[in-house]
Amino acid sequence: MKMTSDMRDDGELDGLFDRARGESLPPSAALMDRILADAQAQLPHASSCDAPRQTPQVTGFWASLLAGIGGGGGLAGLSTAAVTGLLLGFLQPAPIEAPVSALTEAIWTSNGAEQVELMAGYDDIFTEG
Amino acid sequence: MALDTMSDVPDEALLVRYGNGDAAAARSLTLRLTPRVLGYAARILGGDRAEAEDVAQEAMMRLWRVAPDWRQGEAQVSTWLYRVVTNLCTDRLRGRTRRRSVALDDAPEMPDGTPGAEAGLIQTDRMAALGSALKILPDRQRQAVVLRHIEGLTNPEIAAVMDIGVEAVESLTARGKRALTALLAGKKAELGYEDDV
Repeated sequence: MKMTSDMRDDGELDGLFDRARGESLPPSAALMDRILADAQAQLPHASSCDAPRQTPQVTGFWASLLAGIGGGGGLAGLSTAAVTGLLLGFLQPAPIEAPVSALTEAIWTSNGAEQVELMAGYDDIFTEG
Repeated sequence: MALDTMSDVPDEALLVRYGNGDAAAARSLTLRLTPRVLGYAARILGGDRAEAEDVAQEAMMRLWRVAPDWRQGEAQVSTWLYRVVTNLCTDRLRGRTRRRSVALDDAPEMPDGTPGAEAGLIQTDRMAALGSALKILPDRQRQAVVLRHIEGLTNPEIAAVMDIGVEAVESLTARGKRALTALLAGKKAELGYEDDV
């Protein structure tokens, strides 16, 4: 009879275990929020998810001027054109000097005016020191 | 709280995803594991919900921290987590200034006016009696019994959680069940078991 009683007790205990297994202790919303906040704080590589740091913009007069002429490329082109123009006007290479002189002589000779050379030629600069 | 949208993904795969920076995986793991962790901690700590919540949060925190270094295939995530909870609870039980020695007579009473049939009240009393009887068991017996008969772990899994051999697990669960049976036997009449026979 004792064995029967023990078996019944075991069955009753197992029944209680089954009920306990089916009962859950629902976590509170506050606990879930705390755990999720911890997970977010510990998230590996979390720093790589941050917004990329903005490089401070250089602003000011020179930056505005550079932007206005098209940036570095524009500045280089403009400089080249300025130097070339200066050289052409200052040195008067022969291919340019000859037709200009011919035209000038034709105009001024027909009027009988005295021909004056306003800009020294290339040869004059380097021979007269 | 949203449902687990990755219910078909194993715990370990989710943990690896989290270790690679996937925040959505953490959400699924939280939804899936927190109720188990909390329920187990509450039973081991004798029903102290506030303390069980602290343990659950700390255990999950340790899970997040171990994620980047998790070695796949070495252990189940749930088993690892049960072990952490067991250790945390053991520390807290040892730290209590005086050990609670709650007798079956101290089982919480139903408040007056609670709706429900007599059968429902009896079932509630039976569960309260089980909880009270579990509190009286030695800590290791209680852990083994809860893991085996309520959490549903296998003996080898319990051995891994408690860091003991399988034979020791069998011994603890057997002694625990005998003690529970003896404790509950004296309450049979009050719990309505005599009427069931």
